[in-house]
Amino acid sequence: MAPARAIARLTFRTARVQTASFALFFALVALVNVEGFRHSYPTAASRLAFIRSFADNKAARLFYGLPHDLTSIGGYAAWRVGGVMCIFAGMWGLLAAARALRAEEDSGRQELLLAWPVSRGHTFLARTAAVTAGAAVLGIATWVGLVAGRLPAAGSAFLALATVSPALVFAGVGAVASQLAPTRRVALELSSGALGVALLIRAVADTSSSLGWLRWLSPLGWVGEMRAFADPRPALLLLPAAATVVLFALAGRIALRRDVGVGLLQTSDSSDANLRLLGSPAAQTLRSERGSLIGWFAGIAFYAFVIGSLSNTISPSNVPANLQRQLQKIGGASITTPAGALGLYFLFFILAIALFGCSQIAAARREEADQELETLLAMPVGRLNWLGGRLLLAAAAMALLALATAVFAWAGAAAGGAGVSLPRLLGAGANCLPASLLFLGLGALAFGVLPRWSAGIAYGLVSLAFVWELFGALLGAPGWTLGLSPFHHIGLVPSQPFRAVAAVLMLAIGGAAAVLGATAFRRRDLAAG
Amino acid sequence: MAREHHAVAPGRRARVVRDHHDGVALGTTYVFRRVETTEPMNAAGTAIRTQGLTKRYGQTVALDSLDLEVTRGEVYGYLGPNGAGKTTTIRLLLAVHRPTAGRAELFGIDAWSDPVAAHRHVAYVAGEPFLWPSMTAEETFEFLARLRGGVDAAYQAELIERFQLDTAKKVRALSKGNRQKVLLVAALASRADLLLFDEPTSGLDPLMEMAFRESVHEAKERGQTVFLSSHILSEVEALCDRVGILRQGRLVDEGTLDELRHLGAQTVEVTFAGPAPDLSGLPGVAVVPAGENAIRCEVTGSIGPLIAALGDHPVVALTSREPSLEEIFLHHYDSSDGAG
Repeated sequence: MAPARAIARLTFRTARVQTASFALFFALVALVNVEGFRHSYPTAASRLAFIRSFADNKAARLFYGLPHDLTSIGGYAAWRVGGVMCIFAGMWGLLAAARALRAEEDSGRQELLLAWPVSRGHTFLARTAAVTAGAAVLGIATWVGLVAGRLPAAGSAFLALATVSPALVFAGVGAVASQLAPTRRVALELSSGALGVALLIRAVADTSSSLGWLRWLSPLGWVGEMRAFADPRPALLLLPAAATVVLFALAGRIALRRDVGVGLLQTSDSSDANLRLLGSPAAQTLRSERGSLIGWFAGIAFYAFVIGSLSNTISPSNVPANLQRQLQKIGGASITTPAGALGLYFLFFILAIALFGCSQIAAARREEADQELETLLAMPVGRLNWLGGRLLLAAAAMALLALATAVFAWAGAAAGGAGVSLPRLLGAGANCLPASLLFLGLGALAFGVLPRWSAGIAYGLVSLAFVWELFGALLGAPGWTLGLSPFHHIGLVPSQPFRAVAAVLMLAIGGAAAVLGATAFRRRDLAAG
Repeated sequence: MAREHHAVAPGRRARVVRDHHDGVALGTTYVFRRVETTEPMNAAGTAIRTQGLTKRYGQTVALDSLDLEVTRGEVYGYLGPNGAGKTTTIRLLLAVHRPTAGRAELFGIDAWSDPVAAHRHVAYVAGEPFLWPSMTAEETFEFLARLRGGVDAAYQAELIERFQLDTAKKVRALSKGNRQKVLLVAALASRADLLLFDEPTSGLDPLMEMAFRESVHEAKERGQTVFLSSHILSEVEALCDRVGILRQGRLVDEGTLDELRHLGAQTVEVTFAGPAPDLSGLPGVAVVPAGENAIRCEVTGSIGPLIAALGDHPVVALTSREPSLEEIFLHHYDSSDGAG
C-alpha cells in the first residue's frame, strides 16, 4: 500500500492551492453570513419583517433555494450558506475529480505511473481518497467559519456536512465523466453540464408551486431538504453518500477496463480541415474558445431571462421600512419595483461577466504554460499583438455577454408582465462593463507580473471584492473599507442613476493596469507551466 | 486569395521573382515570392551574431558570455551535453527569454528589441513540439503559413509526402515524432532565411532522419542558413560545415570539422616484421603496445617525426585514422577541470 499512499499524497498536493482557495472562500462566506445576519437583524421583529419580504421572493430562491427557518441565525445560515455554497462545492468536486483522474492521463503521467509496480485499482482508490480528503478540508473550513460565527458546534457540523455533500457527489460525476471523455476539457464540460442540470432542477422545484417534488432528483435539492438548524434530517446524508459510492464504483469499474489515455466516448482523431479563423492569433483564440463562449452566452441568457421574468414578485406591501434601510446598505434601493429588483440582480451578472474575464486570463496563461505560445512567438508575431488580441477579444465577448444579459432580461421581464423598457435595460447591460473590464485589466497586470499566479489572482480579486460588497455593509464595516470593492461604486442601473465618474475611473484604472501588464509581459521571460 | 511573402533583409536591394504555385495540400492558393538578392545568399554577411550573450536564472548561469557568429548559407552544428545551454541560446535568439547581459542579432536585427522583424527571417523547430492539440496537422500548416504571410505550397506538399504525414490527424493524436514532423515541414516549407533547429530529430526514426538530412541539403543548396543544435554526433558530422561545442554555458571549441580534427589526436597503428621498437620520446606521440609486433600511437600535431622515425624499422602495415567527432566531443566533455 506504500505506493498507493504516495500517489494519494501527490494527488492531494497537486490540488492543494485550489483546495485551499475554496476552503478559505467557504470559511469566509460562512462566517460573514452568520455575523452579517446577527448584526443586521438582531431582534425577532426585524427577522420577521425580513421573512415577510424575502422568503417569498422567487428570484432569491433561485440563488439560495427554499428557506426553512429564518427566525434563527442558524436557519438563515442553512439557507444562505448551504443554498449557495453547495453549488460551489459541486463545482470543486468536478474540478478535483477531472484533475485527479483525467489530467494525469492527458499529460501522459498516468502511463508512466502504471509502468511501475502499482495496480490500476490501487491508483484509482488512491486518487479517490485524495479527492475525499480535499472535500473533508472544505467541510472542516465551513464548520470552522460557522463556529467562529458563534453557532452551536453540533448543528454547524451537520450544516457543514450537508453543504459539502455535493462536492463528493459531483466528484463522482466528474470521475465518471473522466472515464467517458477523451480529454480533461471534455470531462469538465460533461460534468459542468450535469451540475447545470442539477441547479436548474432545484431552481424549478423551488420557484414553482406544483413541481416541488423535483427537488429530490437534484443533489443540490437534497442539501435544502436536510433542513439544518430548522428540522434536521441527518438520515438524508445517506442519499449523497449512496450516490457517491455508486458513481465512484461505476467510474472505477470502467477505469479498470479501458485503455489508459482513451475515453469511452472516442471522438475521431481525424477530421476534414476547417480553415476558418486561422488568420491571426486572435482568430485562432476565438476558434479554440468558441465552445466555452457559447456556453457562457447560453447560461447568462438563460438566467437573465428567468431573473427578468421573476422581477415583479416582490410586492411593496410586504417590505417594511427598516428592511428597506438594510437593503439600501447593500445597494438594493427599491427592490419592490421590477426595475429595482433587476438593478440588484444585475450585480450578479456583473460578477458573472467579470468571472468570464478571469477565465480568459486563465486561458492566456494556459497557452503560455503549455508552451504553445513559444511556438507562436517564434513566428513573426509580436508579444503585444498576441496579448492585445486576446484582451480585445475578451473585452468584445464581455460586451456581447452584457448585451445578452440586457436583451434576455428585458424579454423575461416582458414575458413576466413587468414593464421595464428595453433602453433602460440596455443601459443596465452597458453598466456591467466598467467594473468587469477593470477586473480584466487587473488580471492582465497579474499575467504580466506574476504569470504563474495570474489566474488565481484574477479569480481571487473578483470573488473577494464581491463577497466584501455583499457582506461588508451587513457586518458594519467602516465606509472606506467598503469603498475598496469596485462593486461598491456601481450605480444599480436601471433603478439608480449611472455613476459616470466611477465608471470612467474604473475604465481608466483597468486600462492602465492592462498597459502595465502588457509592458511587463513584453519584458519578461516566457514561463512554462 | 493571393498572399505575398516578403523576406528582404534590411539594407539589401531585392529583385523579386514570382513563382506561382497552386496550393495542392492546402485549400488556399499562395503566391510565393522567392527573394533573390543582388548577391548570392551565401556571400558575406552574418545570419546570427551574439556578443557577450549571458543568461542567468537566479543563481544558475545558463549561458556565459557567448560570442557566436554564423555566416549566411552555412550549416552550423551546435553541440553540447544536456544542460550545456543549447536551448537557452535558442530561446535568447528567439526573444522567448530575455538576455541578462549582451545581445544577439539575427541578420543585423536585434533579437530582443525587434523580434517580429527578426522572425520574418526565421523558422524554428523545437525539441519538444508544442502545438494546438485540437487542430489537425493541415489546420496547423494553414495557421502557421498565414502567420508568416506565405509559404511554398508545392514544396510543402512534397515535404508532407517525404515525411509521410497524415494531415487529417489531430495533433493530440500524433506521437512526438509526428508532431516534430509537422513542425519540420512547416519550417522547411517557409523557406525562411534561417532554420533554427533544436534537436529536431530526437523523435524521428532512421528513415525520417534520412529525409531530414535530405531536406537540410536542399536548404543549403538554396542558400538558407541552418543552425542545428543536437547531440546526435553522426548527424552533425554528416551535415554541418562548422561546429561549436558548448560546455556549461561556454563555447569551448569552434571550427570546421577539419580544424577540430587537427586539434584532436590522430591514431596511427603500426605493425612490424619483428618486435616493435621503442618509439617513446618522440614529441607529441603517445605509444601504447597493441598486440605482438604492433603499437598504437596517439599523435597530436604533425605526424612528420613519427614517419621519420619509422623509416629505420621494418614496417609491415600502417593504418591512420582521424579522430571522430565523438572523440573530439568526449575529449572536451571529459576534461572536468574545464580547461577544454
